[in-house]
Amino acid sequence: MQKVKQQTERVGEGVKFERIRRITGYLVGTTDRFNNAKKAEEKDRVKHSVAGA
Amino acid sequence: MGSAPQTILKRDGTAVPFDAEKIRLAMEKACLATPEEQVSAQALIDMTALVVARIQEGTTPSVEQVQDLVEQVLIEAGYGLTAKAYILYRAEHAKIRRSEEDLMNIYRELTYSYAQNADLKRENANIDADTAMGTMLKYGSEGAKYFVDQYVLPKDVAAGHINGDIHIHDKDFYMLTETCCQIDLMKLFKNGFSTGHGILREPNGIASYSALGCIALQANQNEMHGGQSIPTFDYAMAEGVAKSFRSLYRSALVAYFQIGFALDETDSEALADKVGQSIGWPSMSALDEYEGALSGVLAAYEPEQAKAAHEYASRTALKNVKRNTYQAMEALIHNLNTMNSRAGAQVPFSSVNYGTDTSPEGRLVIESLLLATEAGLGNGETAIFPVQIFKVKQGINYDPGDPNYDLFRLALRVSAKRLFPNFSFLDAPFNDAYYKPGDPDSEVAYMGCRTRVMGNVYDRSREVTSGRGNLSFTSINLPRLGLICRGDWDLFYRMLTERMELCFRQLLHRYSVQCTKRVRNYPFLMGQGIWLDSEKLGPDDTVGEVLKHGTLSVGFIGLAETLVAMTGSHHGQNEESQRRGLEIVSFMRRMTDEQSARTGLNFTLLATPAEGLSGRFVAIDRDRFGEIEGITDRAYYTNSFHVPVYYQIGAYKKIRTEAPYHALTNAGHISYVELDGDTSKNLEAFESIIRCMKEAGIGYGSVNHPVDRDPVCGYTGVIDDVCPRCGRREGEAIDVETLRALRRQYPNMPMFYGLE
Repeated sequence: MQKVKQQTERVGEGVKFERIRRITGYLVGTTDRFNNAKKAEEKDRVKHSVAGA
Repeated sequence: MGSAPQTILKRDGTAVPFDAEKIRLAMEKACLATPEEQVSAQALIDMTALVVARIQEGTTPSVEQVQDLVEQVLIEAGYGLTAKAYILYRAEHAKIRRSEEDLMNIYRELTYSYAQNADLKRENANIDADTAMGTMLKYGSEGAKYFVDQYVLPKDVAAGHINGDIHIHDKDFYMLTETCCQIDLMKLFKNGFSTGHGILREPNGIASYSALGCIALQANQNEMHGGQSIPTFDYAMAEGVAKSFRSLYRSALVAYFQIGFALDETDSEALADKVGQSIGWPSMSALDEYEGALSGVLAAYEPEQAKAAHEYASRTALKNVKRNTYQAMEALIHNLNTMNSRAGAQVPFSSVNYGTDTSPEGRLVIESLLLATEAGLGNGETAIFPVQIFKVKQGINYDPGDPNYDLFRLALRVSAKRLFPNFSFLDAPFNDAYYKPGDPDSEVAYMGCRTRVMGNVYDRSREVTSGRGNLSFTSINLPRLGLICRGDWDLFYRMLTERMELCFRQLLHRYSVQCTKRVRNYPFLMGQGIWLDSEKLGPDDTVGEVLKHGTLSVGFIGLAETLVAMTGSHHGQNEESQRRGLEIVSFMRRMTDEQSARTGLNFTLLATPAEGLSGRFVAIDRDRFGEIEGITDRAYYTNSFHVPVYYQIGAYKKIRTEAPYHALTNAGHISYVELDGDTSKNLEAFESIIRCMKEAGIGYGSVNHPVDRDPVCGYTGVIDDVCPRCGRREGEAIDVETLRALRRQYPNMPMFYGLE
């Protein structure tokens, strides 16, 4: 049976994810306020493995 | 031959008396810069006369015209090298002067562009430069920097800063104040205090201790240009908990007297007064002893009745003091993330150190703060402030069986979720050297991003954390020396010595400015006796002498790039580079120690955090030396002595590589390990990293891991492209029914976006 799909209310349009990072010892609530150098540094970071001693 | 003119026109158009001696001095400076070319004193006098003779008679020459004549005369006389040095000297000065035009361009940029597009407005990530007050602060800051460059700094220091040999941090505050202070709340609260805007009575319970602690941080932040720290937070707040407990115990006892002893309110109060006057009120750690004493005062009643009263009062007070303490710590975090400072552009940069108070009151403070941090802010967001530092100490909280080991474990769990607390290590030999059991003021604390203030050559008997801080700091562009010297170590150390001496001179110059300030310039910091010994001064006394308790720090960034330039590889890559790296940093430390011994001031060596600096040096060096692989090919120089963030290295090896630099950088340091989302949730792995830091001799460290949050469904954790809880992509909408279903599934989420 074909049912007419009801228009449902949608929320969250345009809402960004918050990404909290530590850059010089301080946390920053969103990377939007990082300066260009810090953005580049954050992007380049690699994870450190804890395998082995 | 013409006679000397009366006046000369400066660049700003003002006429000042002409002085031929200035011409001779400028040429002499150029001669001194070129020892390979000898110019006799007589030749200098003759050439000066020649320059004066060539000035057209009856005119008022400009400075530029006279400088052109000097160049001509030097070249004609065959002093080519000296002429070149003179030209360079002129160019440097011209560069400084050009910043006058730059200033107006900066104002234009600040006025007409959004932070998103203007790097200048994102220099400090915790300032919202798009707001009116944020922009006003930037106008002030940029104008002040210009003023300091043009009219305050010795010319060679200004040139050194502008051309990127060194970086004077917080230059906008050069004429105003100092960096930071470690605040002893216990001393401040005693008998109450004034913020400069109003008097506050001595607080009487944990709620007011917490509130006043925030106010102290805020008031001090507005008098200094750096962050503010509470070095012994647990001990300070424990006094508030003890006061709350006593008052809660009394209230519960009164309630019991009314019901259990069938007294009316007035008689209950009177009996409680009698108890209080006879034996005082109990502390959380001495409840059993108190019971006996209470039975004595209540001798008119049966011993079982007294016992029951005590049990009820203890139980009730403990329950309530826990609740009150949690609420106070929750309020502290909320306050410190919302209170305004600096005309509303920021919240105070605050740090709190804790972890070693083993009293029941102190333990309750630590536990409550950690739990409130874990819970997050109003919508479950991760709190950005205060920076929290958990002090790790063997015998107190490091091993199973230590009295605060449970709190260390809790700290690990919270850090794995919220990035804070960081961990400081009191057993590191350079921190342990100051440690005196039972004296919290002897425990090294760290401030904000990494600052450390402990040793005190000015007054060896006052090697304490409280009431002291950094006065100012200046960093050296280390990679540039590598780029110039390229493997020539003799030249490298000669130039490094020069740079260090330039920094010493500049720091002393700034200190001499700071010395002229009076207590009334700092109504809170000095007026309320927060800074060590300032309580001995009157409002019109100068602060120079007491400032000697503070530190003057030389910092550095980009050890990794320096080593690449000098040896071809950085210290994470091979042992030889590591040896060279330690040699460089040891050399700098030796120089700061010698400078301390010479001056009796606390010159210390800092592993610079490079907040605004990370991109500045490298941009200048890329223009000058080109894009060089492993040195100038990225948008930043590596933080202090860190192994580069892009280099693949195991966590333990990174820690062991960086640890020996902690011992050398006595003005502060931090090491990070980056973990992926899954590993950070593995508490055993997390703990093994913190334990490795402690064993390796790290002073201060923390673990970075991604903390993302979807404001729509409240999920906190790692979000790649799609939120793992609600399934939306960034910016996408989801339907409201899905969100309602999630709310039923996760009832503890504080808020859902768009739902009532």
